Amino acid sequence: MHDGSGRITVQSLTKQFGPVTAVQNLSFTVQPGSVTGFLGPNGAGKTTTLRMVLGLVTATGGTATINGVPFSQLGQPARVVGAVLEAQGFHPKRTARDHLRVYASAIGVPDPRADQVLQLVGLGAAGARKAGGFSLGMKQRLALATALLGDPQILVLDEPANGLDPEGIAWLRQFLQAYARSGRTVLISSHLLAEVEQTVDQVIIISRGQTMYNGPLDHLRQSQQARVLVAPSDPAALTKALREEEIYNIEPQPDGRLAVGGVQAKQVADIALKAGVSVYGIEEERVNLEQLYFSLTNGQYGGAPIGQFGAPQFQQQQQFPQQPQQFQQPYQPYQQQQPYQPPRQQYEQQYQQQPYQQQQYQAPPPYQPPPQFQSPPQYQPYQPEQQQYQEPSPYAPPQVQDAPPPQELQQEQQTKDEREGEH
Amino acid sequence: MGRLITAEFRKILTVRLWWALLIPAVVLAFGWSFVAATLVTDLAQGVRDDPTFQRAGLTFQDVPWSVFALSRSINITTVFPMLFGALGLSTELHRRTITTSFLTASSRSALLGSKAIAYVLWGAMYGVVISGLAILGTLAGSGGHYLPDASGFLLIGLSGVLACLLWTLLGLGVGALLGSTTGSVLLLIIYAVIAEPILDLAFHNHVSGVLPNGAADGLTGATASTIIVDHLNSPVLAQIPPDVFNAFLNVIRIGAGAIGAFDWWASGLIFLGWTAALFMAGMLVNQTRDIT
Repeated sequence: MHDGSGRITVQSLTKQFGPVTAVQNLSFTVQPGSVTGFLGPNGAGKTTTLRMVLGLVTATGGTATINGVPFSQLGQPARVVGAVLEAQGFHPKRTARDHLRVYASAIGVPDPRADQVLQLVGLGAAGARKAGGFSLGMKQRLALATALLGDPQILVLDEPANGLDPEGIAWLRQFLQAYARSGRTVLISSHLLAEVEQTVDQVIIISRGQTMYNGPLDHLRQSQQARVLVAPSDPAALTKALREEEIYNIEPQPDGRLAVGGVQAKQVADIALKAGVSVYGIEEERVNLEQLYFSLTNGQYGGAPIGQFGAPQFQQQQQFPQQPQQFQQPYQPYQQQQPYQPPRQQYEQQYQQQPYQQQQYQAPPPYQPPPQFQSPPQYQPYQPEQQQYQEPSPYAPPQVQDAPPPQELQQEQQTKDEREGEH
Repeated sequence: MGRLITAEFRKILTVRLWWALLIPAVVLAFGWSFVAATLVTDLAQGVRDDPTFQRAGLTFQDVPWSVFALSRSINITTVFPMLFGALGLSTELHRRTITTSFLTASSRSALLGSKAIAYVLWGAMYGVVISGLAILGTLAGSGGHYLPDASGFLLIGLSGVLACLLWTLLGLGVGALLGSTTGSVLLLIIYAVIAEPILDLAFHNHVSGVLPNGAADGLTGATASTIIVDHLNSPVLAQIPPDVFNAFLNVIRIGAGAIGAFDWWASGLIFLGWTAALFMAGMLVNQTRDIT
């Protein structure tokens, strides 16, 4: 029987689909009490990994356990783990309520639970409608309702934001955070960091089937580094002068500029002046989290950088100065070889491919936090024996709400800080 | 297990498929047996009045010829429970509800076992309705002549229920094996309705009795033939040499729609073997199938 820890453990997990290695030697642990983001580009092996964890796909090698045992040994799996894997798992001619009642009887929860979860996800009025007529967002909600039927300790969601409108995303974010704060486990995958940045506390970043980063999102944030881009009249002379000042983190850029890390613009300008090098332009550039994410995951389907067609792409080997602590694969800590040069071309391409999502998440709609959010979170240990359903959070209808007053915002921020302080 | 069987019943009852297939089954079972019984009765009356047979001392007065109509209509109608079974698991794979079904079941074998039990019960339900309607059609079409006694009806009816039940399970297995709704429906219809009847005509012997469709037809067809033979004027038949008798039996089985069939119990066992093999193969494939 399982240990009730709420922990998901993946060890050396590997999956081959014929000649294709979808997941390669992947290891990570997901802890209860926080929302963990499982990130990687499309095709990185996220869905395959989640399906292996849930016993739907047989691993070629390695193990995946939930509460210490493989999924198949959970006994009553739906009471331990609920999963939203796709918004398509419905018979189009079956009504939402009937769909839930089918699985309510399979799990062994009473029928009224079907209406309860419908209310919980905001589909209370659509119970008698056939799932085939649902929008993608409604299907996502119905899938979530199905996952919640057994009141599971662990929630696994694969790209749950797909098809949800901004209100739905805000609601989901709030719901998942409250769920995690009650001491349960939430694992949520996404191909966009920005999409889950405000939801998750922990991140696992994978690329090409391997773990690139596994740790708190804050550690990743702290590793963001500023760099100075300078256009000197004589790059060689400036490089020499900088080295004399013991500044070694210098990278020539394709456009002739130098990128200098770990310094301030003023410092570089002073050194240039002293060395008698003219400076035609100087700017400070801060690598944001999204760029960092791209640099961690690039290369999977990346094209050659501008001006380097045909040239080997990965030549300069440089270490990240402030290394995040929890890299699990020391031999391949970073796939990219130019940490401070965000793959512009690729980034811009991706940006253009996903314009609406960027838009959507950069200015998340304000929503009023439910009462629970205004006081410091209280840890509610999960009690597996307890059959009665406890709502993780009061149901908040996904509707546009006015911006919360400043005081509340402040309090929420405070709460967030305290929570982050725990890590 | 009980909970999973309830869930399977709910899956069936919350969509229209079960009655969408039951309606044509009812119409076909009644219609075919009614028309066939009418024709058999007309033919039998013609034979009875034929002076040749009368001079030979062969009396066909009490022979329950209408069992041919009964068994044949049941054989034809089994195509509907077969399709019902074929869509049992393949629809779940096609609609991707299998993901949730596996996630909410204690194990894959528990889910597949519960599905098998639910579909056996539904197959039996189809069988009862189909046999019942076929009996009614035979009664109505024959005008009260050339009918078997109650035990004859019961025997053929039961063999019909058994055939429907096994066809449902066989369909479930094929659907699970192929994992495709269209694929399994097309394959089963083409095989059972077109391919094997042609093969049966080509072989004309016990080869077709070994094939799945021939064995299934034999289940009802051989039961019907036995009833006929038992009712025939036994002193006359006793004088016939064994090889001629076997040829005669074969002709009767052809009339009952079971070319080259073995005895009903042997046919039943052969068909049970086919069903078990295909069903087990389908379940084994899904025991390890990657649900991606």
